[in-house]
Amino acid sequence: MTTPPAQVSPTSKGTPVPPEIPTSSELPMATQPAVPFVEIETLRVRQFIPAAKEALTSLIAEQGQAKVIRPVFNWAGRNSLFPLHWGLACCAIEFAAGFGARWDAERFGVVPRSSPRQCDLMIVNGTVTWKVAHKLITLYEQMPEPKWVIAMGNCATGGGPFRTAYSVVPGVDKLVPVDVYIAGCPPRPEAMLDGILRLEQLIRERKE
Amino acid sequence: MQPDELSRVLTPKLGENLIGVEPFDGMAGRVRFRREGALELFRIVRDELTFTHLSMVGGIDWVDHREVFYVVWSDSIRQYALLSTDVPAADAHLESATPVWPSANWHERETWELVDVTFDHHPDLRHLLTPDGYVFHPLLRSFKLHEPEELEVKSRHV
Repeated sequence: MTTPPAQVSPTSKGTPVPPEIPTSSELPMATQPAVPFVEIETLRVRQFIPAAKEALTSLIAEQGQAKVIRPVFNWAGRNSLFPLHWGLACCAIEFAAGFGARWDAERFGVVPRSSPRQCDLMIVNGTVTWKVAHKLITLYEQMPEPKWVIAMGNCATGGGPFRTAYSVVPGVDKLVPVDVYIAGCPPRPEAMLDGILRLEQLIRERKE
Repeated sequence: MQPDELSRVLTPKLGENLIGVEPFDGMAGRVRFRREGALELFRIVRDELTFTHLSMVGGIDWVDHREVFYVVWSDSIRQYALLSTDVPAADAHLESATPVWPSANWHERETWELVDVTFDHHPDLRHLLTPDGYVFHPLLRSFKLHEPEELEVKSRHV
């Protein structure tokens, strides 16, 4: 059997040619998608996938790959907020009721996790004493970035009726940065869900 | 059990360390004793008067002196008894009851940090409810409510 002579391509000798990188002008034309990216999640499932494809292609063409990551990341993050399963006082009862059948916070993608390493949201529900303060800070520091804090109820917001007591932290914002405050003593589960939805608004507007 | 029965058992053994036994509503009696005879009294009350369960330890600040009281329960006669002693405010210390009732451990820690009565020979006299290094004794009458900021400065990083 005779082997055919090897085809010698002109580029195999001399300086190697780097693989071609498409410049932004060669990408598909930047067209305005029918549905803006930030409104995709309001669509029904059947319209979701084609709209997401169209909007993502358009976004990449318009802004380049690097800039698209942030809104996609925000979109994924705000729809899967995992709060720390950690109760301090009576607000924890409302917190627990919020995950029951009646209010069902899981329909917003909110699932309480038992380990701070799996969480990105800490809901401080109850009176924080100085005795428990450094444990709260430790839990907060164990959570991976990015992370958010909701102060739920009057005690976590400002000390509540125990503000001048000898052992109570007057507001959890003296210990960790707080994004959303929920008033009430205790707030109803609807108020907690409203706070979570407002936090989702904050994450939606989050820039680099 | 009546106060005179308590007195009949305790008087010959404690001598002048027993100040007196008074009637007390809902209990077998209120035994007032000097702090020098504390451990001896606890042993007699547990072993001979069958008060085997220590229900609580507490303290009261009477400005010139502080009162420490022990509430004990007997399962066999189904009655409580109150043991109380006075310690001077300038020299507030007392023998710990942990050798007799191990459950006195946390109660005495709480009494120490809130009313500032030191318990000698306590196995583990640390803060229980307030953070380590906390400088106040909040249940003393000399304790005034602080501004939250002042408490924060004195309670943090300790």
